[in-house]
Amino acid sequence: MAFKDLKNKFKRQLSDYLELPGDIMLDLPKIVLVGNLQVFIENHRGIQEYSPRLVRVVVSDKVVEVTGENLTLRNILPDEICVEGQISTVSFLS
Amino acid sequence: MLLFKILSFLCGYVTITVPEECLEKFINMATARGIFLWGITATGANRVALKVRLSGVQPLRHVARMTRCRFKITGRAGLPFLISRLSRRKALLAGALVFVVTLYLLSTFVWFIEVTGNKRVETEAIEQAARRAGLYRGVPKWSLDTAEMEANIARQVPGLSWVGMQVDGTRVRIEVVEKVLPPDSGGEQKVDVVAAKDGLIKEILVLSGHPVISEGDTVTAGQVLISAAIPPPENFYENEGGEQKEEAGEEPEDKQEPVQYVHARGIVRARVWYEGYGEMKLVEKGTVLTGREITKLCIKIGAKEIILMGPGQVPYKFYGARTDVKRIPAWRNINIPVEFITVKYFEKEPYSRTYSRAEARRMAGKRALTGIKKQIPKSARILDQRVQVVETAEPEDIVRVRAIVETLEEIGVEKPHQFDRGGSGLVGGKRGSAGNHG
Repeated sequence: MAFKDLKNKFKRQLSDYLELPGDIMLDLPKIVLVGNLQVFIENHRGIQEYSPRLVRVVVSDKVVEVTGENLTLRNILPDEICVEGQISTVSFLS
Repeated sequence: MLLFKILSFLCGYVTITVPEECLEKFINMATARGIFLWGITATGANRVALKVRLSGVQPLRHVARMTRCRFKITGRAGLPFLISRLSRRKALLAGALVFVVTLYLLSTFVWFIEVTGNKRVETEAIEQAARRAGLYRGVPKWSLDTAEMEANIARQVPGLSWVGMQVDGTRVRIEVVEKVLPPDSGGEQKVDVVAAKDGLIKEILVLSGHPVISEGDTVTAGQVLISAAIPPPENFYENEGGEQKEEAGEEPEDKQEPVQYVHARGIVRARVWYEGYGEMKLVEKGTVLTGREITKLCIKIGAKEIILMGPGQVPYKFYGARTDVKRIPAWRNINIPVEFITVKYFEKEPYSRTYSRAEARRMAGKRALTGIKKQIPKSARILDQRVQVVETAEPEDIVRVRAIVETLEEIGVEKPHQFDRGGSGLVGGKRGSAGNHG
């Protein structure tokens, strides 16, 4: 585990140094929030849970939780998910 | 997104429902296999609806078997379903086909005829002429020979000088231009023969009218040569003697015997001089095409230009370009800012050539003469042509020449008679003799 942390740290420093975006270098999700209407989650690993009030999406080593009302998954592509509805929170669960 | 919607409509898609408890597994497996899902909404009763392309349904069955959850197809949409539904309703399809065919057939006939451009000629007269020429309501369009009909209508209706026909869908527009006739003075028109150019009169043959110039006169362009007004005989002789007296007392003589007006006709030949100028540099510099060319094709969207084919940078040092822009025609207020631009680059090569003075002189002379010969009418006879070198004070590296061409040609043109232009031919006669020294 220590080795993995070291590797991640090195990677982050390298990406900072080279000014590369983290979502490519570190395999992090890129989350775009459009008002409270849409959330685009790029670089996901599939969904964990879906209901009209709660959507959980697995990202690299965390889970993104979107809560709100009347949530629908507008589309699901192998690397992008779009959640639509009245969004109230977007949070990370580890 | 619109493109995506159109595509899924064309491919066809179905709405399926899956029980909520196995949704996550189902979706993850489907996306992992590259099946595109969208519009995932809860429908209540512990079921979730989702949409999938028709091509994804078969793989989904496999996914359903592996996740052990069944899906039900609840809705079908798109073109494939529309077609299959239509194929069951053959009468509707036949009706639609009949409608289209009828519309097409009816559009091959002429239904409206519009006449524009006429003021004095009755529209009805033109329409009747068109009917006789074979253009009427209900005539099939393929039987129209517009060029022939235009000529036919113009021939039938005397007041028209030009007829243009334009077939625009089921509408035929007949555009006419009326003849502008000179004011009719009852019987013969008063027409003078007027000089078209400056010249020295060589020979004159009067067919009708009163000649106001004689052989050997110089005339200027616009001067009356043969007048429409023939003065009474006794005045005519008087006229030869004293001109001043005649001008003052024109009116009483008119009362005695009126001036007779005719349509003046005649042939007036005159010697006409043309002058031209030509020059030739001793060292000629220019560019010549090498024959190599390259084509660039690009598409312009808004202000952005995207090169589809060809070079970004022109590989020639000297070149000419020809641009051809094609754009989508504007319809109503919608103007699509997309242009297809084809640019052809032709490679050029600079050259410089040195001429001797004699050579340059010959070429400059040739240039000057070709410049003149454009002005000379075909019927003219060339009597003489001379080329002179224009000497300049300081020696230049350019040869300038002046060419003079003398021709014998007809200079008379018919013009309506104007009274203020020396209508009786008397003032004109005076002018003619006044210029008689050239």
